[in-house]
Amino acid sequence: MILLEIKNRIIEETLLHRFNSPKPESIDITVADFDGVLYHISNPDSDKGKIRVSISLKFYSDLKAHGAEELIQKFYGDYAVTPEDGYDISLQFDYENLPANKEEWAEKAALLKCKCFASVFHKYFQLQRDGKQDATAIIHYRDRETMYVSAQKDRVTVIFSTIFTDDDDIIIGKVFMQEFKEGRRGSGTAPQVLFSHAEPPAELQGTDALTGQNVGYITFVLFPRSFKDEAAADKTVNLIHTFRDYLHYHIKCSKAYLHCRMRVRTAALLKILNRARPEIKTTEKKTISGRTFARK
Amino acid sequence: MERFWEQCIFKYLRAEPEDHYFLLTEPPLNTPENREYTAEIMFESFNVPGLYIAVQAVLALAASWTSRQVGERTLTGTVIDSGDGVTHIIPVAEGYVIGSCIKHIPIAGRDITYFIQQLLRERESGIPPEQSLETAKAIKEKFGYICPDIAKEFNKYDTQPDKWFKTYDGKNSITKQPFSVDVGYERFLGPEIFFHPEFANPDFTTPISEAVDSVIQNCPIDVRRPLYKNIVLSGGSTMFKDFGRRLQRDLKRTVEARLQLSFELSGGKLKPKPIETQVITHHMQRYAVWFGGSMLASTPEFYEVCHTKKDYDEHGPSICRHNPVFGTMS
Repeated sequence: MILLEIKNRIIEETLLHRFNSPKPESIDITVADFDGVLYHISNPDSDKGKIRVSISLKFYSDLKAHGAEELIQKFYGDYAVTPEDGYDISLQFDYENLPANKEEWAEKAALLKCKCFASVFHKYFQLQRDGKQDATAIIHYRDRETMYVSAQKDRVTVIFSTIFTDDDDIIIGKVFMQEFKEGRRGSGTAPQVLFSHAEPPAELQGTDALTGQNVGYITFVLFPRSFKDEAAADKTVNLIHTFRDYLHYHIKCSKAYLHCRMRVRTAALLKILNRARPEIKTTEKKTISGRTFARK
Repeated sequence: MERFWEQCIFKYLRAEPEDHYFLLTEPPLNTPENREYTAEIMFESFNVPGLYIAVQAVLALAASWTSRQVGERTLTGTVIDSGDGVTHIIPVAEGYVIGSCIKHIPIAGRDITYFIQQLLRERESGIPPEQSLETAKAIKEKFGYICPDIAKEFNKYDTQPDKWFKTYDGKNSITKQPFSVDVGYERFLGPEIFFHPEFANPDFTTPISEAVDSVIQNCPIDVRRPLYKNIVLSGGSTMFKDFGRRLQRDLKRTVEARLQLSFELSGGKLKPKPIETQVITHHMQRYAVWFGGSMLASTPEFYEVCHTKKDYDEHGPSICRHNPVFGTMS
């Protein structure tokens, strides 16, 4: 699994299981997702015939400013209902009146988080197409980590700030990002990626961007080619919105791999050390006839 | 193992390990070295903020709190954990496993399936041979139950076949032809091997109730009563209907016979206090361990007993050798 899946498997499987079950059952499940996102699947007003999927995002107010609601309304149509208390978006399915293509809708519901993110990107892609400019969108997608999206005349820039909790992570992250920069050489159509460590890039000078040894900034420069039509834009959004988790996932995996190798080496070394016995020096050596040498 | 965890965390749980405390479970008699090794991976490679390693049997006990026949929340009891491969009987006192008294029984889900498969093979034709194992498994899960008395049960089937015989409908996976199997005595004979292991395994003849009894008799004398009082089932192969009831009845018989014997030996002078025997069944049996873990991890106390990253950096992996018991407050 090189790329992370964008849909939430638990949501998809739970819903599908419910949709296909012969009789309605009660349900109350809370599921977590990346970036502190929380899903809640339940029966509204303890009515078993209805299934409600709610999502809560800490940064929903940021997304709302960029038209998240309209996009959700457009994508989910009538299934989007007034949000449950304490949650930001709710979808509701009626057991008696299920959508005809259950698989598709279960998958769509599992994409809820992705669609929330998509609104920002789609807005800025559109702005760029129209040749307009707008203030940079700032999404505080985690407590101390932020995403900036802005549209220029010929491109859209997306900047992620991320925090590394461990010193080793910074180094592995740097190497990983180096590979990303090189990626352009392999494929000419890859978007340009810039990585800056500790200092925010020039675009963010003068904002409240964090600085510090453990902060990294990743800049994607997206040219119109990456969002020329609907399919390309969707693909770009899907890849880019999981980027932060993707980066951390690979850092963890590389670390696990390195540690694994280190353990094997240590074990091998210990084996050799245990086998080694110091030579016993004190015994007197004799020739075959029984004489001894005296060393002088 | 690391790869397995990577996939668990990122593909299914979809959680950033840096944000969450982790509860891992271990089998009873896991070595402390293993625990250290696990802690090393979790803290060093995954940067988890906190980790707690719980024993599966203890979590199974905690899961039984949901449907207690008694209202009290205790972590003393005997856990019967029966999965696919092997059945364990694990005595737990105050949240600590009595390691020296654990017993394993070589009778579990797979043996029942094989036994049913064998019965079907002898009697029934029409099951495609390559599908006979899965048919046996489906029959076991769908129709299996435990009867109070085999002889009477045979009688019941013979007098009222319409009421007791069932049909299983399957589909040949290659020719797509439907086939049907009459299910008769297999329904109760399959699970019966827990109580009559000699049916399936000539080398092993101790019924589960006797095994439980001997486990408890091996334990220190001061915990035996609470162990008899709280026998908890966990794992998929304990899901048969009336499994708990039969076990409780058989066990009670053994215990009462012993008390009666000691009464007679004393010449009628000493009347022992009766021992309360109780087998607890609940709805979460199949995922008892998982459920118990989920329940304990959602208490605020969990965060207090976890080993944090800070402690780990300070003291090293050896702190994870011991995980304090918690959750017993009533």
